[in-house]
Amino acid sequence: MTADEGSGEHGPKGPDESGSAHGEDGGGAGAQGTPAESGAGSGPGRTAGHEAADEAGHEEVSRLLAAWALGAAMPGDDARVRAHLAGCRPCAAEAERLAATVRLLAGPAGGTAKSPARKGNAGLARGRLMASARAARPGHGPLAAHAAPYSGAVAGLEALLRELDDSPARWGTPVVHDWDVQGTLAHLIAADEVLAERLGLAPVTGARPSSAGAGAPWELRWVARTDEVVAYEHTRPTAETFEAWRTQAHGLLALPESADEQLAAAATTLMGLRLPVADHYVIRAFETWVHTRDIGRALGVTVPPPLPTHLQRMVGLAVRILDLALGPMARPVLLSVEGEAGGDWVLGSDAEPIAAELVLEAVDFCLLVGGRLEPGEIPRGHAGDAVASQRVLETAASLAWL
Amino acid sequence: MASHTHEVVPVDGTTRYPPRDEQLHRRLVYGDESALGEAYDAFGGLVRSVALRVSGNVPAAEEITREVFTYLWVCPYAFVPGRGSLRTRLSMLAHRRALTRVRAAEPEAGAADARPDAADAGSGAAEVNHAAPERAVPTPELRLHRALAALPLPQQEATHLACFAGRNYRQIAVELGIPEDMARFRLRSALRGLTDRLAEAGHPGGPAGPPEPPGPARPGQSGGRSAG
Repeated sequence: MTADEGSGEHGPKGPDESGSAHGEDGGGAGAQGTPAESGAGSGPGRTAGHEAADEAGHEEVSRLLAAWALGAAMPGDDARVRAHLAGCRPCAAEAERLAATVRLLAGPAGGTAKSPARKGNAGLARGRLMASARAARPGHGPLAAHAAPYSGAVAGLEALLRELDDSPARWGTPVVHDWDVQGTLAHLIAADEVLAERLGLAPVTGARPSSAGAGAPWELRWVARTDEVVAYEHTRPTAETFEAWRTQAHGLLALPESADEQLAAAATTLMGLRLPVADHYVIRAFETWVHTRDIGRALGVTVPPPLPTHLQRMVGLAVRILDLALGPMARPVLLSVEGEAGGDWVLGSDAEPIAAELVLEAVDFCLLVGGRLEPGEIPRGHAGDAVASQRVLETAASLAWL
Repeated sequence: MASHTHEVVPVDGTTRYPPRDEQLHRRLVYGDESALGEAYDAFGGLVRSVALRVSGNVPAAEEITREVFTYLWVCPYAFVPGRGSLRTRLSMLAHRRALTRVRAAEPEAGAADARPDAADAGSGAAEVNHAAPERAVPTPELRLHRALAALPLPQQEATHLACFAGRNYRQIAVELGIPEDMARFRLRSALRGLTDRLAEAGHPGGPAGPPEPPGPARPGQSGGRSAG
């Protein structure tokens, strides 16, 4: 609409247009018709007549002028601006000033002209970038799907901790329980150690295994071990704790069990859970991500949810463990996990009709299972028997193995 | 001046950054190398052209480009979505780094009579070499780039998008999650501020002489548009 109006007004000005064309093109700037071209060339004193009277038009163009001078106006604006400039000296002068600035700021860059010549090098430049990036933050060799989530979680935590390099004091930031960043990492070292040891990796921490209660239940041994490692790690520089965690994590990812599905199918009991090694890798991913999130929150850094395929794996495993914990006699509940990593599962007895439906979001579900959300605070959709649903939520929260 | 930060919360439900940024960020955090490749393919041209504008030096621009993307890969958390679009963040980072680099090169003086236009005029091979001598006195271009880097962030974002990435104000509004009026307003505040700075500095105008003929502001002609 405005464009029409503009061109209408523009008509009479035909000659002026060509008249001002002389003025354009300071440097190599000229090119395919961009707005400003003849712009401010109010040139041959366009009979200061009718258009100038248009106050509203003036206001509007004046608001538009900078965008127009920057070549950032909409196509429809162009004619209107030009028409106005032809009749409004102040605006024309302003346009000229602004355009001069734009020419300096956005004029042709030093070597753009040669970009075609450099095109052949584009692939080379990309390759060099990827190589230098890889050197600065290496990835892993090929991994089986069960180890990919752990690899992702390790990459995410490592990058987060690297960002602490600049400010060593932040390692002392309280995170969860009574752990600071270093303590949380020490806890992860202890937790990863259980799988690492089972798979034959050498210990990375100097914390001596307590002789106390070799025959004690795993929970007690585990609590004692994590305390030992946390205490030990606090006696050494954070860089060493970081390195110990990294070494063990990358060690786990370098094992054949991380690349070979067959090998990872063997079941083993760790921390009271008898599962295939592949699932233990997923649990490592789960715990690593939850603690990365803890550390991020403590430091004020947003840690995004795991990648969809990783999240899916975590949700799937958590659902199976939850189902085990509920037992075969529990009243059946249809659990719908929503989002990119979602799915539907019937939990509990398969001998009865479904008593309730529960809808949760994937990340929320993980946080519930990870002990980071209370059953009471988790957003949910619900239908049917409230008691049955509540039981699912509470059981999920009680799994908290982290 | 009227150009202080008027940070306004988007009125509608628009996100302040393109959703693609969020996905890229997530993949970068979790070490998905292909995300870096995608970011480079999308914004490499823009980053390189910004670095080149400021440094006027092709090898330097290449190096800055590599630095910028390596930083994106190694420090992904620094690029949390929601604090500006990835495009603006990378463009501004390249701009800053190039300025730092030029400044570092400054003391090693050279010919004092800086020819602001030398960079543009220089033919292919020359331009690789002219960098050093040109630094003694900041050119008007360089002063402008410094002034740009000192503007309030919202104005810088809008200016980078318009000037270097070839975005129109509607696209800028969408990308920054602001109304179009606000996008135009930021461009106006920014460009007026820069123009004033140029005038204050007396715009020795470069030997080439004062304000050239009015007209063709034609940003974004370079890497911009193709830089997507």
